Amino acid sequence: MSSPEFNRPPSPQDYRVNFFRPKAGFMRSEVIYIWIALIAWALLTFGFQFLIYSGQADVNGSGPLTSRTIFSFPFEYWFTGQFLIVWFILICFLFNLMVDRLTERYRQRKEQ
Amino acid sequence: MENEFKLVPLLILVLFLGVSFMVGVASRTRKGEYYPVSAHAVGRIGIGAAIASNWMSAASFLGIAGIFYLKGYFALAYVIGWTGGYVLLLVLLACQIRRFGKYSAPEFVEARYDSPVARFISAVITIIISLIYCVAQYKGIGLIFAWIFGIDYTGALLLGVGVIFAYLAISGSLGATRNQQLHYAVLLLTFLVPLMALSAKLGYGSLLPQFGYGAALSEVNRLSGAEVAAPWASATPYEWVALCFTLMVGTAGLPHVLSRFYTLPNIRVARWSVVWGIFFIGLLYWSAPAFATFAKLLQLRGEMPIDAAAAHQIADVIVIKAAEWGGVSPWLVGILAVGGIMAAFGTITSMLISGAGAFSHDIYYRILNPEASERQRMKVAKGATLVLAVLVVLAAVNPPGLIAEITAVAFALAGNTLFPVFLLGIWWDRTNKYGAIAGMTLGIAITFAALVFGSICPLLHAWLPPTSSALIGAPLVIMVMIIVSLLTPPPSDAIRRHLAEKVHSP
Repeated sequence: MSSPEFNRPPSPQDYRVNFFRPKAGFMRSEVIYIWIALIAWALLTFGFQFLIYSGQADVNGSGPLTSRTIFSFPFEYWFTGQFLIVWFILICFLFNLMVDRLTERYRQRKEQ
Repeated sequence: MENEFKLVPLLILVLFLGVSFMVGVASRTRKGEYYPVSAHAVGRIGIGAAIASNWMSAASFLGIAGIFYLKGYFALAYVIGWTGGYVLLLVLLACQIRRFGKYSAPEFVEARYDSPVARFISAVITIIISLIYCVAQYKGIGLIFAWIFGIDYTGALLLGVGVIFAYLAISGSLGATRNQQLHYAVLLLTFLVPLMALSAKLGYGSLLPQFGYGAALSEVNRLSGAEVAAPWASATPYEWVALCFTLMVGTAGLPHVLSRFYTLPNIRVARWSVVWGIFFIGLLYWSAPAFATFAKLLQLRGEMPIDAAAAHQIADVIVIKAAEWGGVSPWLVGILAVGGIMAAFGTITSMLISGAGAFSHDIYYRILNPEASERQRMKVAKGATLVLAVLVVLAAVNPPGLIAEITAVAFALAGNTLFPVFLLGIWWDRTNKYGAIAGMTLGIAITFAALVFGSICPLLHAWLPPTSSALIGAPLVIMVMIIVSLLTPPPSDAIRRHLAEKVHSP
């Protein structure tokens, strides 16, 4: 394997960008927040469907989660159709707060 | 009753078009309507409303309720897919694309991958997405015009398209702009006020029908038998998850959604306006299933048995049917119908602009005739708009599915092609043009595989349904892009430097 990358003299600047190996500093902290947001997003969206699936009593998915009601909604309808949208807004809100703080910190450091 | 001419909705339609025309003329600028003119003045909430108004189409206004009416819990995959996609967009792409500094999907592709071929493919994809999206909108317009004038669908489709193009031509020649915030307010009010009236009439409370319809839903479930309401009654868990995931990655890859972020004053505003955008979209999506639930309830209570074929026929106008059956005042039913037209109308405008723009700028100017003058390009753009509009009519005469289903195919295409190209282009400096070209070509093939070869190989319909192919498609395309990129030379240092220093720094 002799890719041009290995033959090049070490450059003063490192231009690598890789989501799974973020550079230390701003990018690494941002990627951590992104991971948290993505996990929160996937866990409740797809995790809840898996929960219905794993607890179902018949192939149609009826089970302990669907026999419950909340605000007189069947529970699964309320959770997926209404709560998840609130959850998405919350994820975006917290993500923005964290990234705002992060940006602020690194901008100050840059100016110094 | 069914085929009569209705004067009230027509009057409302004329009134709405007149008012939005006058507001447009009053706020006109020389910049043209491609850019949200007032973005600097209106702040985050206003931009959030603009994001939502850009988003609301006939699929949101009519389609979700239609699917919910037919398939119950399965429809929530649409609701969640079309809101959760904004989370992906915000955390993975929005800021970085804004920092990258290119103003349309093909421009980004050319700048990042340094390849006219990749640009050409992404322009073709943008045009196909516009076409598919518009077919769904035209269907909505045809159905509502048929309802207003009491004529058959094809005639109504031609009439509706004629009205819209006359309006666009007049307002275009006078330089009228579309006020996004007003447009959103119109859509929200025309949707919610009739719903409140309907909910009050049926005794589920008038102020918060979004909560009130819970009891109605439970009653529908009891009257119709539990199997109708069960989560996987009309689709398997795989179909649910595949559709939901497809719509999410599609949302994050749609050219007209992404181009919203390029034009905002700064990144912080761009990020925060997404939060408001989801909220404003959510307001409509919390409410849409209520219409379908009330329609079902009225049918069950009034013992109007309806067979599957008839239900399929009216599903896409179930929002209007629900209000009619519930005995809501004809004025409110008319307002609701006109809201549906306005939603379709706004989307058609922005879709045709982005499709025609991709043709005149990215294909004609950049590839076919680089010496073309501004005048020639304008001419080509106008011609392309007309050609696209006619193509869409041909496809919409025999709509291939429900409004939401047709729209979902456009999302599958975006999720299988543009989303991987954006994601890897932003988050992996090693991605190169060969990877992008291979990925987009494969993505197009995956999206249309079931439609083209479905009759030969029925398994394709099970695993890659046209509406939901990106659950398998997007990861596959990403993998192919990585492999092809590793086997070919890396992109130039200038591009990688731009990524590291401009796109990924605070």
